[in-house]
Amino acid sequence: MEQTAEARPIVEVSGLGKSFGAHRVLEGIDFSMRAGEVVAIIGPSGSGKSTLLRCLNQLEQHDEGVIDICGIRLQAGTPPPRKDMNDLRRSAGMVFQSFNLFPHMTVLRNISLPQERVLGRSRAQADERSRALLERVGLAAKADQYPARCSGGQQQRIAIARALALDPRIMLFDEPTSALDPEIGLEVLAVMQELAEAGMSMIVVTHEMHFAETVSDRVILMADGRILEEGPSAEVMRRPKAARARQFLQAVLNR
Amino acid sequence: MTAEGALLIAGGISWTVIVTLCAFGLGAALGVPICAMHVSRSRVLHGLAVVLIVILRSVPPIVWIFLLYFGIGSGWLSIGPVPAAIVALGVITAANMAEIYRGALKSIHPGQWDASHALGLSAWSEFKDVMVPQLFRVTLPSATTYLIGLLKDSAIASTIGVMEITYLAGYLASKQFGAALQIFAFAGALYILISLPLAAVARVADARLRAKVAQ
Repeated sequence: MEQTAEARPIVEVSGLGKSFGAHRVLEGIDFSMRAGEVVAIIGPSGSGKSTLLRCLNQLEQHDEGVIDICGIRLQAGTPPPRKDMNDLRRSAGMVFQSFNLFPHMTVLRNISLPQERVLGRSRAQADERSRALLERVGLAAKADQYPARCSGGQQQRIAIARALALDPRIMLFDEPTSALDPEIGLEVLAVMQELAEAGMSMIVVTHEMHFAETVSDRVILMADGRILEEGPSAEVMRRPKAARARQFLQAVLNR
Repeated sequence: MTAEGALLIAGGISWTVIVTLCAFGLGAALGVPICAMHVSRSRVLHGLAVVLIVILRSVPPIVWIFLLYFGIGSGWLSIGPVPAAIVALGVITAANMAEIYRGALKSIHPGQWDASHALGLSAWSEFKDVMVPQLFRVTLPSATTYLIGLLKDSAIASTIGVMEITYLAGYLASKQFGAALQIFAFAGALYILISLPLAAVARVADARLRAKVAQ
């Protein structure tokens, strides 16, 4: 079972391009990843990392190229049929820099509501799954609180649980620790590491260089809307080839 | 002013409340599509909403009431004074509520849409589960302020013969000319008595909703 799933790439991107008006944010992006892989995308701010991630689950529509993700083919210029769109959102879970929990719902409702609405689970089934996931991220006691009563790190772990509750095949993380104190960020990274070890396919846009080097299998280094460097984590981070990549890594690793 | 006089005027409370609440309900409902048109990507719908809001808000309520009651009501469509007052005040309320909703929409963090889309919620679920409850919290104080203003505006329904508080006070004052001061002071006190509980309920509801999401 596992073998056949891994034979085919879970994500394959070719010739991806995206512009906001006259500004070209992504250009000629090609990459692929196997199921179970953890890929970190690093690079300076404004290099298009987040936009790339948002194109993968179509929060942004790409202007050029093809994205193949979880068996769904997204061709630039042709809006995918609704069914594909629903499948895509169900298959790809996303975690945001600003958590984006629903402030008017309890922690439990935040995780249960999408299960009921998207997967058609009953309230009891959804709550059971929610509580199990809260247990997994170490927040079982927070079920009946509102998000505002939780710290940033707790909110982000809840957001991870909410995404996992829909049984995604891949998780997309958009700078999940950038809004957190370095110390608080660690509890989020620990959850992500556990997830990676459990075999989840993950793409992580991050400024956490240690995470990129030690947890991810591969690193993609982007600058100015292009992929500069790509390969096994240690290789990219310790022996970058491109001058721009060396400059960036020197700046972030030697601080 | 006699006790009978006071009872007579108090008898107008029901029409005052009915006209106010019906106009508010109509406006709160009609405000939703007008707001939706305003924030629509379609230029035509957006333009239409802007024009509609300007017209509805610029013409004084009393002119709208006369327009509906004497204008349309005397022509090809017969309309009673109560429906005329409700519709006239209702459409003005709609324009104002549309603007209140629009302001509230801006206060919702854009990440809420991102999360709804990324989770795959349907447009309907996004509207009813995510948007409306948050909008309700934000609009509650300004909507209540508007409702209390509308309560007072409902007095102009007296001009077309709706037998609400102001109409009955005016009627009584014309009979007992010397008591006009007491009569209108009593009418004023009734408006205060109605608006106090409205304000209190809104304040308690607002405080409760806030307490839940406060740090």
